Amino acid sequence: MHFHTDTIVALSTPPGRSGIGVIRVSGPESLRILRLLAASDSFNPQPNLLTLRSLIDPSTGDVLDQALVCYFKAPHSFTGEDLVELHCHGSPVLLRAVIDVVLKADARLAEPGEFSLRAVSNGRLRLTEAEAIRDLIDAQTDAALRQATRQLKGEISDTLQPAKDELLKVIVRLESSLEFVEDDLPALESQDIWEALKRLRSALSKLADTFTQGKLLRDGLKVALIGRPNVGKSSLFNRLLGHSRAIVTEIPGTTRDTITEAIGLDGVPLLLIDTAGVRTSVDEIEAIGVERTRRAAADADLLIVVIDGSEPLNQEDQNVLSEVAQAKHIVALNKSDLPTFSVTSFKNPSVVGELSMIIPVSAKTEAGLESLRAAILQPFANGSAQGESLLITNARHHDLLVRAIAALDSSERLLGQRASEELILVGLHDALRYLDEITGETTTEEILGQIFSTFCIGK
Amino acid sequence: MICDEFFDVVVIGAGHAGCEAASAAARLGVSTALLTLNLDLIGQMSCNPAIGGIGKGHLVREIDALGGIMGRVIDRTGIQFRLLNRSRGPAVQAPRAQADRALYRVEMRRTLEATPNLNLRQGLVTNLIVKGNRVRGVELQDGRRIGATAIVIATGTFLNGRIHTGRQSYEGGRAGEPAAVEFAEALKRLGFRVGRLKTGTPPRLDGRTVDWDAFEPQPPDEHAVPFSFATDEIQQRQLNCHLAYTTESVHQAIRENLHESPLYSGKITGVGPRYCPSIEDKVVKFPDKTRHQLFIEPEGYATNEVYLNGFSTSLPAQLQQELISLIPGFERTQVIRPGYAIEYDFVDPRELSPFLETARLKGLFLAGQINGTTGYEEAACQGLLAGINAALTAAGRPPFRLDRRESYIGVLVDDLITNGVDEPYRMFTSRSEYRLALRHDNADDRLEPKGRDLGLVGDSDWERFNQRRARLARVRTALRENRLRRSDEQYSHCRDLTGQELGDSLTLAELALRPNINARIVMGLIPADVRMEIQMGDLETSLADHLYAGYLDTQAATIRRLNQHDSLSIPAAFSFRAVGSLSHEIVERLERARPESFGQARQVPGMTPAALSNLLVHLSAAQRSVGSPRT
Repeated sequence: MHFHTDTIVALSTPPGRSGIGVIRVSGPESLRILRLLAASDSFNPQPNLLTLRSLIDPSTGDVLDQALVCYFKAPHSFTGEDLVELHCHGSPVLLRAVIDVVLKADARLAEPGEFSLRAVSNGRLRLTEAEAIRDLIDAQTDAALRQATRQLKGEISDTLQPAKDELLKVIVRLESSLEFVEDDLPALESQDIWEALKRLRSALSKLADTFTQGKLLRDGLKVALIGRPNVGKSSLFNRLLGHSRAIVTEIPGTTRDTITEAIGLDGVPLLLIDTAGVRTSVDEIEAIGVERTRRAAADADLLIVVIDGSEPLNQEDQNVLSEVAQAKHIVALNKSDLPTFSVTSFKNPSVVGELSMIIPVSAKTEAGLESLRAAILQPFANGSAQGESLLITNARHHDLLVRAIAALDSSERLLGQRASEELILVGLHDALRYLDEITGETTTEEILGQIFSTFCIGK
Repeated sequence: MICDEFFDVVVIGAGHAGCEAASAAARLGVSTALLTLNLDLIGQMSCNPAIGGIGKGHLVREIDALGGIMGRVIDRTGIQFRLLNRSRGPAVQAPRAQADRALYRVEMRRTLEATPNLNLRQGLVTNLIVKGNRVRGVELQDGRRIGATAIVIATGTFLNGRIHTGRQSYEGGRAGEPAAVEFAEALKRLGFRVGRLKTGTPPRLDGRTVDWDAFEPQPPDEHAVPFSFATDEIQQRQLNCHLAYTTESVHQAIRENLHESPLYSGKITGVGPRYCPSIEDKVVKFPDKTRHQLFIEPEGYATNEVYLNGFSTSLPAQLQQELISLIPGFERTQVIRPGYAIEYDFVDPRELSPFLETARLKGLFLAGQINGTTGYEEAACQGLLAGINAALTAAGRPPFRLDRRESYIGVLVDDLITNGVDEPYRMFTSRSEYRLALRHDNADDRLEPKGRDLGLVGDSDWERFNQRRARLARVRTALRENRLRRSDEQYSHCRDLTGQELGDSLTLAELALRPNINARIVMGLIPADVRMEIQMGDLETSLADHLYAGYLDTQAATIRRLNQHDSLSIPAAFSFRAVGSLSHEIVERLERARPESFGQARQVPGMTPAALSNLLVHLSAAQRSVGSPRT
């Protein structure tokens, strides 16, 4: 039997909004991941039977979805491996959130056609069936090819090439010092290598971040409303949602748990999160809610800090603002309908920071709501939505870039410890392999070629 | 067919590939003949009088572990041993030795003559005797016919060799020796795809006319590290090499006379090795370098001749003398053998199986420069593999191959048969994805059991191997069971060395992973009674195993993740055309390369991700349907 060591995940239904979306997880870790999502180590699903479960994000404890889950025990599954299907509601944002959890649990995104491939190599499909599957893969790889010419070659490769060249230069320096010890080569300056690695790392990080941006655009973004209690977060949440989901009362601290809803805002999918008000010295249950708020805030792509503009800024508001100072955020100055409302006192940079955007708004009258919506969408104003089929490839690229950065970090650490070159090179070659997965393979001949054109070798 | 003689295996050429091939075949118990143009020049080093170096030294250790002879011969005839890269990690260290050129030949011939089943014959091969798709023997220039079940061709630079100095060029396999021209024609007639490569060699000087005080001596290692696992100690006297440098006036004279060089006048069409450029190339391609380093290497104990490494040239002989005289310290120096360039034929190695057998003719094996490689060590390891498989074929036993994961020999063969060559192929450690695992000091652990299984490793060597294994196990125990404690005298010294906190106590194995801790320090921490029984070499090997273990695990995981289907084998009968959706061009490339595994297919130039994905699905399906075992 062919040996697959890792666990893969993919959306098995077409991307985009739909009634339901099916996520498949295949590999030895499938059942563990299902238990993680079900938040129960003792969850023992009967194979081949659909069961209704709440899927939980283990990092926040949030309920992501009520889903029908099914476990297929190896070898009685499509792939012949342990396989789990998660039939979720068909919101791209929700599906992305669930896949994110699975990825964090050490699975990786499947390559196009990889489920079929595993099925074939585990003998679950016969040759004739495989022929049909191959056609399917053809279709997918054709799309991948079209993208390779349009997107990959045009944008990603071009952007990545300088970084890859820099990496190759470092590898060439270290390799030649190892291989041509008797040749009269210039001394290896570890400071130079150090600086080159730093430049490389920052270039790759920047690139990785742009992929995150692109992913947000396609998959939507998580927007969390935060603020001290009773500034109107839940009212604003209901307004943005278009219906009453959160319970709104005059009593501070009514919202004790985070509430998540998926909405579309001008075609951009959003996962809108209402949170418990942030304050200290509260009862135990509310304290748990506040802790969840903090986690939701840390996890969100964008924060809307809600402040009651009819009252002077108090210490609790200040605390919230200083907590979000480093995160991407918008300030929604609520209750603009009240006579005591004033925006000028907040426009002082010492209060909200120079770069914060302040939007006066009234959850009650809906005044300013359009401006708030526009502010949320502002990062996407210049971009245009790309084809949904790019989702997997780009996520894969991002994954590879992150791995390349981690590999570079390990080399940098070893360089700091004055480790021998062959050890430093392990991480550099790994990083190159990951980048090669995006741009195409670098052969040993190319590396050697660069050595011989850079240095005069020839004892 | 009437033959004058018959042997199970006939080896053509007694260079470094041929000697290993004949020795291995004979020791595997089949009757073997080694054919050479000149019995006095068996094991001749055509170029530099040295064996080993980074990558190459690794190969010699592997040859030795499998039961080959190169390591033993150089250990008895080396006149300057050095372990290179001592300041680097153990995986990239390797032994290198200057040889006494004449003694090496004598010792090689003595070794071959002491081998039962091995018959030396002098003669020039002009043709192969072929029946159907099998080789049956060889024809010699003098009319003799020698029958054979299997044949190894190891002709080196003799195959259609042509020597160039300046505007002069003539047929020759080496200076003063004839080329094998008819035989080259015969191979072409049989349909082999033949190309042209080039190599060169520097002038040899009269050592009595060198002003030795002008050059910095390069001494041998104090404690020589031998090549063979069977050698305990290098006993012969060791000599110095010397460092020299070219000057701007030499470069200027070369530039002014480039039109005299056959490399630049267009007379030479063969491709030379980039890592062994001629002095003309160095001056032209690196104009900013104000000096190039040269090595003055002794040729042996009993001669004044010295070898000027780094000054390979095909400029006219008289001009070589003038250039040499321009180098300070060489003002009076006489050139006694001019350098020259040589072009020779090679056969596209993509026609070979991993056993080095040709696809065209059964029973025919190729080894050494004929496959596009350069270097004595590269040649020898192919000779060993070809000789083993020729003997196995003759004996009706299954063939033997080496994987690129377990040896540099496996890397070399895999690279050759998968990618072919554009220039003479030399080994570098960076050619291996598994560099950290393929150390020179663990070649025995990797390969000696295979040599034993084949029948090449004798009883005394096998016993020595098992003793070392047992000693290594004891060292591992000592590293695990002995601790460095805060209360120990050496504790603060070790902490200062590492620059790290060490805690209350740690095992010596744990300590060894910290920065700046070497084997000598660890040895000093082992209790005296245990220390007495531990050899430094064994400790170094154990520490290297330990040091790399973590890296090897993560590296293996990365490679597995990226190449998890690489070991999926492609049956010889697999039809790439039948995959259907592959483009004509890709089918052609695949059919030419005939990859044996998906990993090899992945490296075929021009493969697209889509083509690979299709191939993979088809392969998996085909394998499944025939129910063949998968690795």
